[in-house]
Amino acid sequence: MKKQIAIVEDEPALRENYAAALARHGYAIKTYGNRQNAMQAFHLRLPDLAIIDIALEDEAEGGFDLCRDLRALSAELPIIFLTARDSELDAVSGLRLGADDFLTKDVSLPHLAARVAALFRRIDALRRPDNAAEIVRRGALSIDAEKMQTTWNGAPVTLSLTEFWIVHALARNPGHVKNRQQLMDAANVVLDDNTITSHIKRMRRKFQQIDAAFDAIQTVYGMGYRWVE
Amino acid sequence: MSIRLQLLIVALTTLVLPWAGCQYARELETALRDSQEKSLLASAGTIANALSAQPQRVFRDPDDAAAFDLKSADLYVYPLASLPLLDGYRDDWGIAADPTPLPTTVGYGARVQAGSTNRYLYLYIEVDDPRFEAEPANVHPDRDRFDRVDLTLQRADGAPASYFFGTNAPGLIAAQSVVTGDDGRSRVVEEPRIQAFWLQTRAGYHVEARIPLSFVGTRLWIQAADGSGAGKAGMSAEDAPQGGRLFFTMAGLDELLGTFIREGTRATVIDANALKLGTAGNLGASSPGEPDAAESWYRHFMAVDTSSFPVHASKPDRQDGHSVSAALAGSPHAEWVRSTASPELLLTAAAPLVIDGRTRGAVFLEQAGDQLLSLRDRAVTHLFNLTLLATASSVIIMFGFATWISLRIGRLRAAADSAVSSDGKIRLDMPESGSGDEIGALARGFERLLARLNEHTQYLRTLGGKLSHELRTPLTIVRSSLDNLESEDLREDQRRFVTRAREGTLRLQSILSALGAAARVEESIKQAERMSFDLRDVLLSALAAYRDGFPQARFALETPLDPCFIRGAPDLLVQLLDKLIENAVDFCPPLRTITVRLERALGSYVLQVENEGPPIPPALHGRLFESLFEQRQGRDDKPHFGLGLYIVRLVAEFHGGTAVAANRPDGDGAIFTVQLPLI
Repeated sequence: MKKQIAIVEDEPALRENYAAALARHGYAIKTYGNRQNAMQAFHLRLPDLAIIDIALEDEAEGGFDLCRDLRALSAELPIIFLTARDSELDAVSGLRLGADDFLTKDVSLPHLAARVAALFRRIDALRRPDNAAEIVRRGALSIDAEKMQTTWNGAPVTLSLTEFWIVHALARNPGHVKNRQQLMDAANVVLDDNTITSHIKRMRRKFQQIDAAFDAIQTVYGMGYRWVE
Repeated sequence: MSIRLQLLIVALTTLVLPWAGCQYARELETALRDSQEKSLLASAGTIANALSAQPQRVFRDPDDAAAFDLKSADLYVYPLASLPLLDGYRDDWGIAADPTPLPTTVGYGARVQAGSTNRYLYLYIEVDDPRFEAEPANVHPDRDRFDRVDLTLQRADGAPASYFFGTNAPGLIAAQSVVTGDDGRSRVVEEPRIQAFWLQTRAGYHVEARIPLSFVGTRLWIQAADGSGAGKAGMSAEDAPQGGRLFFTMAGLDELLGTFIREGTRATVIDANALKLGTAGNLGASSPGEPDAAESWYRHFMAVDTSSFPVHASKPDRQDGHSVSAALAGSPHAEWVRSTASPELLLTAAAPLVIDGRTRGAVFLEQAGDQLLSLRDRAVTHLFNLTLLATASSVIIMFGFATWISLRIGRLRAAADSAVSSDGKIRLDMPESGSGDEIGALARGFERLLARLNEHTQYLRTLGGKLSHELRTPLTIVRSSLDNLESEDLREDQRRFVTRAREGTLRLQSILSALGAAARVEESIKQAERMSFDLRDVLLSALAAYRDGFPQARFALETPLDPCFIRGAPDLLVQLLDKLIENAVDFCPPLRTITVRLERALGSYVLQVENEGPPIPPALHGRLFESLFEQRQGRDDKPHFGLGLYIVRLVAEFHGGTAVAANRPDGDGAIFTVQLPLI
């Protein structure tokens, strides 16, 4: 059965473009122009994945509300935020609404499709029994590339997909400086420098919530970042 | 010319006040003088009328109207205030020497002066005869020759009585006369009541004689004769039967006059010959003390010119001057004269003394003009002081007012000059905007203007961010559409168009990114967290990246050897450095050096990025760091919105520092300096 994806986006052209691209990848697409329509439909039937724009028609943060309501309906449903503004990334992190990933609208359609596929893969991997083959361990850090799960000192770190790929790229070669472009390539996104910086900041904060002494992600000014063991 | 100076000059026009005061004072003086003349004339007329009613108190012989004639040896008898000592000297007479020469035909010099007290007639006779010839013993006056002075007096009964003075030894002598005895022989007897002192001097001899008034009538004859030769002066009763008349002042006239006059006035009665008959009163002390400097200055400044006044030098026995001659001619007259003695300025008035229809003399009054002068001076000084005070205070007030106005305008001007600061910030409040006058209105006008300018500037400043944001969605639509289109089965030529369209969107994307850069930095500054970090470390790693990123440029780094910790946001600082380096690379010719320098200064670090290349045009100084300020000629295809250096400024200010641009001292390049305080 085709996986069903809900796209909540108030810009019709964009909505249709996303829908067309994802449909080409074999997903069933439902599109909604505002929060009310989307919520009505979600009450009847939950999609397998939701892509939500933050600003919806006249509700500047309608996407956040929608995400909260959707999370109330299902704890596992993967949610991707799409934003037009970089600064919203921080807002999302502050709200900790449980989104699995957030992308700026600069993302290209192939990247979006890849990101959707990755999320589904993570869900599938979580349902399957463990296989340890893809696990990277760096001191207190362990990364399961299959399930896209990260733990620090055994405690799970809830990273978004983009963040996961960044940590993964850094931790695989500790000590090597990864510049921003390399990190973007690893995460399959097109982001500007500021966005990378705010992703890094948020990741550090997430690790520091588990271990206040966390200092493994180092900034190499003007070049990029590296993982220090 | 400053407003202050202009108003000062305007204020100086109030100097016309003292000038008008001077004019007024002059007119006042003229009027006062006029009235003083009139009043003095009136006084003189009154006294003259009073005197003409009692001529016997004025003239010893009211009926004798003959004129005083010097040639016929008429003699004026000075009133003497005290009894002179008979010593041959005239010094103790208390009057000026004014001897009358005796008529002579042979050049024998002899002079006589007469004076009287209420009991005696004094005669003082000087004879220029240095050789003394003594009177022989048993003299025969008709025969013997010796130095002698003959004196013939007309007695009260009209008969003449002859005496002569002669001596064999100078000293106190008595008059001698020839008497005819009962035997018919004449002999010489002394008249002890007529005393004299014979004083022989080198130039001649003096005879000072004292004659009781009972011996004296109205006429006398005096003759001096040399003992040897024919020297002779004067006249004898035989030669001139008329003789010389004696002109006495009337006893009691002075007292009578004194009842008419006031203090500060001197009255003199003269006869038709202008001889003084009586005088009373004095002119009083001159002006009280020396006039103080201010008064004399005023006087000098504006006194009526007195130098044209005739000089009045009074003679002891007679009065002259225009007013006297006018009065003797029958008409009263007043005149201002200058006196050689104090007081300097005199008002004189003379009125004719008319008896029985004939002008027999005049009453002459003198009054010190200084009184008037000091009166005038007091008034004028007062007026002058007042007007000067008024002028001075109006000048001071005007000056103060002008200073205040010009200070206010200056403050407004300074505020207007600095309203738009070099970093493009606009100060909206103006000084003086609270005041209700025109300056306040001007200040409020400025405020409105600045508010509009500020709105406009704010609009421009946010325009980039807004545009970047608003264009993002349509751009995303285009790009996602192209993505979809690419996944269709396209012909090769169609795919080419899609590729071009994609390139266009990429460029559009970078333009939007540049446009929104400042807004993004402002956003991240809002969220930035401050931490302590090593500035030197950041520079070292960043510069390594620039060496990779800009292979066409050479970088030199000068830093202190030890870490340089400051508090701030390293990410933002790297962005600042990015912008400075991008700017330097843009202007630095290939293979020339860009120097990045970090130095410790007092309380701050100084970060400099210096590039070789063209200097900054002078017109751009101070504006480079403004938002949306871009003057460069395009040298590359990157979009420039004049935001790079604006971002540098934003980050520097976030760190509490400043950013300035200057040219290298040798003119070959530019230096951008960012100062970052330690705290």
